[in-house]
Amino acid sequence: MKNAVFVALIVLGNTFGNTFLAISMSQLPGFFAVSLFSYVVALLTNPWFLSGTFLIALSMFAQLSMYTWADLSYILPVTASGYVVTTVFGRFFLNESVSISRWIGVVIIAFGVVLVAETRADTKHLEGVNE
Amino acid sequence: MRWVWVFVVVLSSTAGDVFSAKGMSERGEIQDFRPGGIVRVFHYIATHPMVIAGVITNAASFLSFLALLSVAQLSFAVPATALSYILKTLLARLYLHEHVDRRRWLGVALVSAGIVLISF
Repeated sequence: MKNAVFVALIVLGNTFGNTFLAISMSQLPGFFAVSLFSYVVALLTNPWFLSGTFLIALSMFAQLSMYTWADLSYILPVTASGYVVTTVFGRFFLNESVSISRWIGVVIIAFGVVLVAETRADTKHLEGVNE
Repeated sequence: MRWVWVFVVVLSSTAGDVFSAKGMSERGEIQDFRPGGIVRVFHYIATHPMVIAGVITNAASFLSFLALLSVAQLSFAVPATALSYILKTLLARLYLHEHVDRRRWLGVALVSAGIVLISF
């Protein structure tokens, strides 16, 4: 349960954080179009930029926290589920077109995620399991 | 030039995750998620040399990925950096002493292969 909550925080924080940052970039003036000062003011008063930055920071904090009880070789493949979330979100909420090879890639990643998710998250404190 | 940046991205992102995992795993499992407990975790992250090294190298990896994108397309950059999954798992086994069984290796291989496919 704790694993599922933290994987969700890592993946959703990163996916939606990046999406929000991309939205904020489309609303900001061009970097060279205005003075640096007004660019920074526009950045720091843009709600999409602020919430996107918060979500990415939350995702990074959740990942660092999870290392205290779960293996790197567990967290990495399991959080690759982000690629699945990004594709499904892009297709059904942003109406992006998704190629056949991308769908095949997403299905293969999903198989990899499920395989690893079913292993024990923490193997470092087990004695005598290393071959 | 683009392969030089791939090399830099893969190395820095691998160092970033392995150092972070090494530093954080030296702390016991986080049990206390009340505000005081979270402040203690922040303090640990900000003062542990290995974790700081991990966060800095991960930031370097993000910047070098942007540099890679300035000389190559996303459809080259994403699959080329999928290599780092294999390298990180290898170091998780050799340096962090995690038990990477066949099932986990197969999972990592599927994830890397999938990342290569989604870019085409």
